[in-house]
Amino acid sequence: MWLPVLALIIGLVLGFLSEIRIPLEYSNYLSIAVLAALDTLFGGIRAHLQGNFEDKVFISGFFFNILLAAALAYLGVHLGIDLYLAAIFAFGVRLFNNIAVIRRLVISKWSDSRKKS
Amino acid sequence: MNRKRRAVFSGVACVLGLMLAVQFQTTNNPVTRDTRDTWELRADLEKEKQRQQDLNNEIKKYQALLDNYEQSRKKEKIEAMQKALDDLKEEAGLTEVSGQGIVITIEPFNEGEMPKVYPELIRRLINELNRYDAKDISVDGQRIITTTPIREVNGETYINNQPISSFPIEIKVLSDDAQKLQNKIIASESAEDFVRENLYIDSKPENQLTLPAYDKPIRVKYMKQAKEEL
Repeated sequence: MWLPVLALIIGLVLGFLSEIRIPLEYSNYLSIAVLAALDTLFGGIRAHLQGNFEDKVFISGFFFNILLAAALAYLGVHLGIDLYLAAIFAFGVRLFNNIAVIRRLVISKWSDSRKKS
Repeated sequence: MNRKRRAVFSGVACVLGLMLAVQFQTTNNPVTRDTRDTWELRADLEKEKQRQQDLNNEIKKYQALLDNYEQSRKKEKIEAMQKALDDLKEEAGLTEVSGQGIVITIEPFNEGEMPKVYPELIRRLINELNRYDAKDISVDGQRIITTTPIREVNGETYINNQPISSFPIEIKVLSDDAQKLQNKIIASESAEDFVRENLYIDSKPENQLTLPAYDKPIRVKYMKQAKEEL
C-alpha cells in the first residue's frame, strides 16, 4: 500500500532535483498528460478495490491515454479549436467519478471491518 | 495487493510524480532565453563588478564600525553610536549642510503673462540633478528628502506641503564638482523643458552654500522594526 506513495514521492523528488524544464509552448501537452496519468492511476485504484484490476489494461491505458490526450491537444492547436478542453472535461469528470467510487468503497470497507470487530 | 500489481502501481506513480514535478517547474519558473549580445553582457558584467565593489566597501565600512564598537569602552561606544546617528540624520536630510555647489534660479522667459511652474518640471529637474551626482538639493528653501512630495494643489505647486513662492525660484544643489554639474545643467533636457514652458533657468557655481534642514517630522509608513537576531 505504501510502496506506490513512496514511488510517487521518489518521482517528485527526482523531477525537482533533475531540474528538467520543457519549453513553455509544450507545457500544455504535459499538463494534459499529467491529467490523463492521474485519471488512469485513480481508475486503477478503483479497479483494484472493486476486484477487476488487470495489469495489461492498466499499463496500456496509462500510456495510451497520455498519448491520446497529447495528440488531441496537438490536433486542436493545428485545427485552431481548443480540443484539449474535451480531454480536460472527459478526464475531469472521470477523475471525480473514480474518486467518488473509491471513497464509497473505502467507507463501506471501513464500516464492515468495524462491524466485524 | 500482490507483488506484481504493487510494482505496476509504483511504476505508474513514479512516472506521474516525475511529470508533475516537471510541470510544476515549468509553470513556476519557465525557461527564459538569454538574448544579450556581447556588449550587453560586457555592460552587465561591469555593472555586477561595480555592485560587488560597492558591497565590499559596505562590508568594510560596517566591519570598521563593528571593530569600533567592540574596541571602545562604554563611553566611546555611546560616542560611536551618536556619530552613526548623526551620520544617518545627515543622510536623511535632517541637518543643515553646506559646501560647494550651484544655485539655479528659475525666472519667466518673457515679460508679460506669468508662466506656471508645474510639479512635473521640478520633479524632472530633480531627477536629472540626482543623475548628475547632486548630493543635496533644496528648492525654494525646502530641503528635498527621499519622501518629499512635489504636487499640484488647486493649481499651485507645493513642495513639502508648502506652496512655492513667486519668481525667482531658487534651487540650491550641493555637489562635489560644481563646475561639472553646472555644465551638465546648461546642456540638460530639463533646461529645454523649462524653456518650452516659458521659463528660464540660470545657474551659477558657488563655493559656499548652505542648505536648510528638513524641519517636519518624517512619517514612516511602510517600514517595520527589524527583529533582533537572538
